[in-house]
Amino acid sequence: MTSSCWHAEFKKLMWAYAGRRIIYAVPIAIGVTVICFGLVFLAPGDPMVNLLPPDASPADAAYLRKLYGFDQPVPVQYAKWLLRAVTGDLGTSLQTGRPVISEVGRALSNTIVISLGAVLLAFSLAFVLGTLAGYYAGRPADRALTAVSVVGVSVPNYWLGMVLIIVFSVELGVLPATGMGSAGSDTFSLFNWEQAKYAILPVITLSMVPLGIIMRNTRAAIAEVLANDFVQTLRAKGLPETMVIRHAVRNAFPQVLAVMGLQFGYLVGGSILIETIFTWPGTGFLLSKAILTRDIPVLQGAILVLAMCFVATNLAVDLLQTAIDPRIRRA
Amino acid sequence: MTAEFVAAAVVLAASTVALPAKAETVLRVAMTAGDIPDWTGQPDQGFEGYRFVGWSLYDALINWDLSRSDVEAGLTPGLAVKWGIDPANNKRWVFELRKDVKFHDDCKLDADLVVWNIQRLIDDKTPGFNPVQYSRHRSRSINVERAEKIDDGKVAIYTKTPDSFLPYNVSVWYMISKCAMEKANFDNALYAKAPAGTGPYKFDKVVPRERLELTKNADYWNPKRVPKHDRLVLIPMPEATTRAAALLAGQVDFIEAPSPDTIPRLKSSGMRVITLPYPHNWHYQLNFVEPPFNDVRVRRAANHALNRAEMVEMLGGIAQEGYATYPPNAKLYGNPVKYEYDPAKATALLKEAGCHPCAITFAISTSGSGQMQPLPMNELVKAQLEAVGFKVKLDVMDWNTLLDVSFKGREKYPQYNGINISRATQDPPNGLLRFVMKQQWSPNGGNWGWYENQEIEDIVAEAMRTFDDEIRDILMTKVHEIASREAIMLFVTHDLNPRALSPRVHGFVQAQSWFQDLTPITIVEGGK
Amino acid sequence: MTDATLRVEFAAQPAAIRVRGYWGTVGRRLRYDYVTLFFLAVILMIVFAAIAAPLIAPFDPNKTSMAFRLKPIGFRDFRLGTDELGRDMLSRLIWGGRMSLLMGLVPVVVATAIGGTLGVIAGFVGGKLNMLIMRTMDIFYAFPSVLLAIAISGMMGGGMYNGLIALSMVFIPPLCRIAETATTQVRHLDFVEAARASGASSGSIILHHVVGNVLAPVLIYASSLISVSVLLSAGLSFLGLGVEPPTPDWGLMLSTLRQAIYVQPLVCALPGAAIFITSLSFNLVSDGLRHAMDVRI
Repeated sequence: MTSSCWHAEFKKLMWAYAGRRIIYAVPIAIGVTVICFGLVFLAPGDPMVNLLPPDASPADAAYLRKLYGFDQPVPVQYAKWLLRAVTGDLGTSLQTGRPVISEVGRALSNTIVISLGAVLLAFSLAFVLGTLAGYYAGRPADRALTAVSVVGVSVPNYWLGMVLIIVFSVELGVLPATGMGSAGSDTFSLFNWEQAKYAILPVITLSMVPLGIIMRNTRAAIAEVLANDFVQTLRAKGLPETMVIRHAVRNAFPQVLAVMGLQFGYLVGGSILIETIFTWPGTGFLLSKAILTRDIPVLQGAILVLAMCFVATNLAVDLLQTAIDPRIRRA
Repeated sequence: MTAEFVAAAVVLAASTVALPAKAETVLRVAMTAGDIPDWTGQPDQGFEGYRFVGWSLYDALINWDLSRSDVEAGLTPGLAVKWGIDPANNKRWVFELRKDVKFHDDCKLDADLVVWNIQRLIDDKTPGFNPVQYSRHRSRSINVERAEKIDDGKVAIYTKTPDSFLPYNVSVWYMISKCAMEKANFDNALYAKAPAGTGPYKFDKVVPRERLELTKNADYWNPKRVPKHDRLVLIPMPEATTRAAALLAGQVDFIEAPSPDTIPRLKSSGMRVITLPYPHNWHYQLNFVEPPFNDVRVRRAANHALNRAEMVEMLGGIAQEGYATYPPNAKLYGNPVKYEYDPAKATALLKEAGCHPCAITFAISTSGSGQMQPLPMNELVKAQLEAVGFKVKLDVMDWNTLLDVSFKGREKYPQYNGINISRATQDPPNGLLRFVMKQQWSPNGGNWGWYENQEIEDIVAEAMRTFDDEIRDILMTKVHEIASREAIMLFVTHDLNPRALSPRVHGFVQAQSWFQDLTPITIVEGGK
Repeated sequence: MTDATLRVEFAAQPAAIRVRGYWGTVGRRLRYDYVTLFFLAVILMIVFAAIAAPLIAPFDPNKTSMAFRLKPIGFRDFRLGTDELGRDMLSRLIWGGRMSLLMGLVPVVVATAIGGTLGVIAGFVGGKLNMLIMRTMDIFYAFPSVLLAIAISGMMGGGMYNGLIALSMVFIPPLCRIAETATTQVRHLDFVEAARASGASSGSIILHHVVGNVLAPVLIYASSLISVSVLLSAGLSFLGLGVEPPTPDWGLMLSTLRQAIYVQPLVCALPGAAIFITSLSFNLVSDGLRHAMDVRI
């Protein structure tokens, strides 16, 4: 078999694998829609009461319930919702009357700003520190560095956010405490310090967990490569240590990159506490508002979009990783 | 390089240079609301929506006089200069409209427009009927039958039954531009992009869920209320700590309801904290059917058990001790029974009523409009009640669920002996009558626990037919005294509605009302 | 806290680790792991304090006093100051440990029981049932853990029980997946095939071989979830979706004390510190155990 032929064969296998993974994601996506839709029926109370002043009557609530179609049987509601969702129509918010898709879209782009910032910050720090820890595996330096990563995953980040606001916004007065830009998210720009500074505290707070996790994974990957027999052989042959590290880093990189991708997925879906603390107008902020006001279409839409993003991120990471390094195939 | 380009560049340069010469003055307000109130007519987000959005963009036929701090705010002519009951028909009110009032989009205020504005909130066949605003406004509009044009400058409003309280309901019935609505094809979402009212501010732009920006209406019909700043920015910030931090960090100039514990810090940083009584009542509505609160002795015992001075102290002095539905400065206060702190008497009353220890359950919320600091306050009430022999269970729920309990009433939720929802007591129908009248029994109205008292029913029936305000007020005062004697609630406090202002803010006059007028505020850079 | 649903690269350990002396080795390794031992001691102290709260708390945690509200650390007998209702912080922190430990442990135990059982069944039976169970888990896996926990408990209206249910549901899928992977791998190992060939019943195979080999990774993973559970449950309380007041609970205390952060920042930071120490200790002990038991998750 010639090398090019082998290559073609390999490519075919890759595409088949990718195809399988994508097809496999379809039933998951359907399951996700069922859960998103079903979740809201766990809710006690009547979603309509929030649209009305406290002195309204149940007749008013019933009137609105009918208007929004909440009086229909649940499977009918689901079918209608799904059919519309497939065409990109997630209904309109009960609270604002605006299309859910535009509300969620806007919020998602704001969340991506801080999630991406956090994951990049975490990655750049964690990769360096993790590599050092892996290189010195088992020695005091490793222990000290590992402690940093454990702190990252153990610290309640909503508490850290509070502390940062007190220190940097209130006491020192150097960074803004809340919101996204002095004129709202519409005019936010990362390339203008006056606006970009609003993102700093949320990004730092949000980066703690991925920092810990990426570091832990980097350390493990580097240590594993370095423990390999052939590395010992190379060393014995007099390969300089910088080359050894370079080799280890090159081998560990794809794997760590994959971890980073997954962490990004978690942050996009899991930034609710941080966004609440910093009043950052992202998806978490939207969700916590929707939960408080029982804005059902927004809840369903936001959870659906976030879960789908998460599925897509996972899929993308998986496919990319397979493309880079075919040896790693996740179950 | 073309000549036009050079010209454009010169103009651009000139304009950027010229800009700082006359800087725009901006007032940035942090509201407690969870979201931007609906700005297309009848606001949501409780009275805060009316306070900041309603009265800024719009006027009603009857407005509130918010220009003074020293007396309780009352009604004042708005888009109507005069109104009164038809002497020949006690179900027909006549309103004489103000002349030459223009909307922000140049639409003219006339009788047809006013009639349309009344009809669009009561009749689903009127173009521009908005089901959500209709439902939101129902409690105000339920007794209104229809509106009718008399001539270009006069409108008649018919009520279903004689209703001397109609002016209060008309006072929160905003007039929106029919031209703007027609331009939007009666689509509320389109109208929301270019709304127009007659108010002291014009709509400029909105960043959904983040901020609403309004600009000064220099041509406002009441020259005294033309805003003294150029731009008003309204930002929803439900968390008290966030509001305080934003004020300290210089992101906003005016915050609503700083929490008591942040006040010393705000003051030490040069912020001005202002408080004033207003018609607010923080209480528990009780269940009058199930024991133990069906027994007036138990209700009185609970009222005697509370050490309200301690409550006020915990709240850092930003509340008044509450002994009745109205605060003492209200004109309908009268001379109610005062339930002094007397634990011995409370215990004695409980023993007399045969309920010792007396187990009760309250439904409370973690947050909500006008709820002040619900968790610590409820915990303190619990501790004080238990000290005299009650056994209190607090059932904590989110605001929405509590509202649901409130709507559906004691019949649906017999497990609760009381609910903790604070109320605005600005006008008698909402502030007093709905708690005591049989017609208001839940789920039809605000009488959550089914209180019934024939004496009150008779007085109220008389008041509805009494179109002389002074005599009607005497009747209402009587109702207030009876309600107090009967301990129709567990009275706790009246909020003093603190606000904190940055040193840049000058000239604000706080009114004794849920509504406030921001127009006199001037912004002085660098403070004083 | 997202560490809960970290994709697991589970490498099954060869059956050889089950040789006699395995636990001896583990014990020996632990004995010299001072970091793990130290944090184990911290956990034991927290657990002891929580259990013995009525005996060791200096004051009634619910006794309010307006005269002594928001006092600093070391004020009179209030070693850690007082909260916004004048309640003793130290006593409330001690009592609050009960709730936090409960919310940290119960969901993990419940999820381990349910998820582990489902995983073992799926792995052992295989085929259609495996498909059914694991694909269902995949659907739950499609939600980031924080989102799922907040969505479920938020929708159910908060409260301690709803919080416990929500957290348990979040932890079931990863535990199920670990158990399934381990079971599937063990099932194909020679000694199980041999046992099957010798006519042993399925029940006894599961009991004797599979559970023994699956337990270690599942327990290690579960132990790492405790810290996540502590953080998440405190987060739920912080959002007002967890334990109901006046029950002392660290997340809730943090949330209500936030209003007073300008008055007594140090006192207000205490509940957060308690959450941090607990979560950190569980994390480190879990790491130490994993190391000692030589399980790679």
